[in-house]
Amino acid sequence: MSRADRIAFVCPRFDDRGTVGGAENLLKELALRAASNGRDVHFLTTCAVNHFTWENEKPAGVRDVGGMTVHEFEVDEDRDLERFLDIQDRISHGGEVSDEEEQAWLDNNVNSRGLIDHVRESAYDRIVAGPYLFGLTWRALLAHPDTACLVPCLHDEAFSRLRIMRRLFAQIPRFLFNAEPERQLADRLFDISAAHCAVVGVGLDSKEIDSDAFMRAHGLRTPYAIYVGRREPLKGTPMLTDYVDTFRRRTGRDLKLVFAGSGEIETPTSLRPHIIDLGFVSDREKSEAMAGAAAFIHPSVNESLSIVILEAWQAGTPCLVTAFSDVMRYQCEQSGGGLWFRSYPEFEEQLTLLLDHPEFRAMLGNQGKAFVEREYNWSVVEQRLLSALDKR
Amino acid sequence: MTDSLFQIGAEGIDTARIVGEIQKSVEEKIRDGIYPDPEIARAERHNLKNLQTQDAFMDYYMNCLRQAAYVDINAFEIREQRNLFAPVLIALKKVIWKLLVFYTYRLWSQQNQVNGLLVAAVDGMDRKNVRKIQELEARVAALESAKDMNRS
Repeated sequence: MSRADRIAFVCPRFDDRGTVGGAENLLKELALRAASNGRDVHFLTTCAVNHFTWENEKPAGVRDVGGMTVHEFEVDEDRDLERFLDIQDRISHGGEVSDEEEQAWLDNNVNSRGLIDHVRESAYDRIVAGPYLFGLTWRALLAHPDTACLVPCLHDEAFSRLRIMRRLFAQIPRFLFNAEPERQLADRLFDISAAHCAVVGVGLDSKEIDSDAFMRAHGLRTPYAIYVGRREPLKGTPMLTDYVDTFRRRTGRDLKLVFAGSGEIETPTSLRPHIIDLGFVSDREKSEAMAGAAAFIHPSVNESLSIVILEAWQAGTPCLVTAFSDVMRYQCEQSGGGLWFRSYPEFEEQLTLLLDHPEFRAMLGNQGKAFVEREYNWSVVEQRLLSALDKR
Repeated sequence: MTDSLFQIGAEGIDTARIVGEIQKSVEEKIRDGIYPDPEIARAERHNLKNLQTQDAFMDYYMNCLRQAAYVDINAFEIREQRNLFAPVLIALKKVIWKLLVFYTYRLWSQQNQVNGLLVAAVDGMDRKNVRKIQELEARVAALESAKDMNRS
């Protein structure tokens, strides 16, 4: 085992406040942890903030964040967005695309010539990049494949079956997965040797959370369920609002639904007065909101780790997740901190069970909390990360 | 759901067992008609993964759609919960209803026709596909057994 001293982490977005997506936060946290371990860490990213427009909103440059050097490069603005979206749309709907179209999809994806030139010209012991869906990740890793380490954040989706992805996964010698089901999926899709894989995940700092603070601050007297993350169809939030609306109607219970995160909330009109939209919140407010909730509900199928359910467990709150997410179902099974539903009737039964039995709710929450403290404390995760990075 | 599913105070809760029990209980409740509500179909409209993977759920969903497709558009008794000015308010509502019904009855009856045709079309396609798959499965099984016999 040789120590990887100079490490580049590559990710399309970086935000000091942690308000970008889960994969971006994961890469940032892993980089900060490697830096705090005395490694020379460089975080290579773009000037974009918005994952829909990919406009260069921040100035390009170099700055120090938490002991690592952050390099921000401009996103290439000459991409053919129309062609990209056309091919992307066909791929996501399971349509056939040629090799040439796959290449065009990658070429017109989010790319940064400045960033790739920097990677080519620099000597890093390891280039850790993710998620797998971006042209930027693909190019940065294949600039020096022998040093490459992919954090795929892989989902069972049409993009993972592209031939161009098979080429990428075949050339990478190291993979960092977030959870065991993600590794198993990668093995099914790309036949990766277990020797090249490490399941690392992300750590959570322990903290004291006031579980009544949120209800006090918002004058809430009725129970509420919470969802934290992006609000969009891919994350299943329209299904969540439909379910909670139906739950309120059928059971006559006054359950509120709290949202934190970005994006428009697509909701039936009748549920609108019962939604509390916090938008972006501080880490403390997020934890307090989670701690006061009867349940954290995660309806998204495409998750490779779902840090938010770990955060909910850390706050002592049980989770209800869709059974169609292999990763979240696995995490709930392993931790005993949550239940999983396949359809509305199962959701209704499970939510009713949690609302009617506070002791049961607390026990699930405690089991989840113990799981996070055992498997996702930083010292354990850091050990897994560094040993994976130092592997030849 | 009952307390028998889990033991309060027990050391460690087996969530897989609880989920399994809930699934069984839901299947029974669906059979008993506790979830026949067309609202379920509406709630499930975004749960595409379930529709794609669970054959039994697809049947249930189709059943919900059949019930939800036809909306009752006939006249109904107009009431008023507030006691004060109730007769006036009822009269006002009746006038509004008569004005609206002139336009909306035709609109909603056409919508009902469209809904019904769509459900029938989806249902027909589903049955046709199921029959085709069954025929193909039978054919594959026959070919495989013929192959085995030739080998032996």
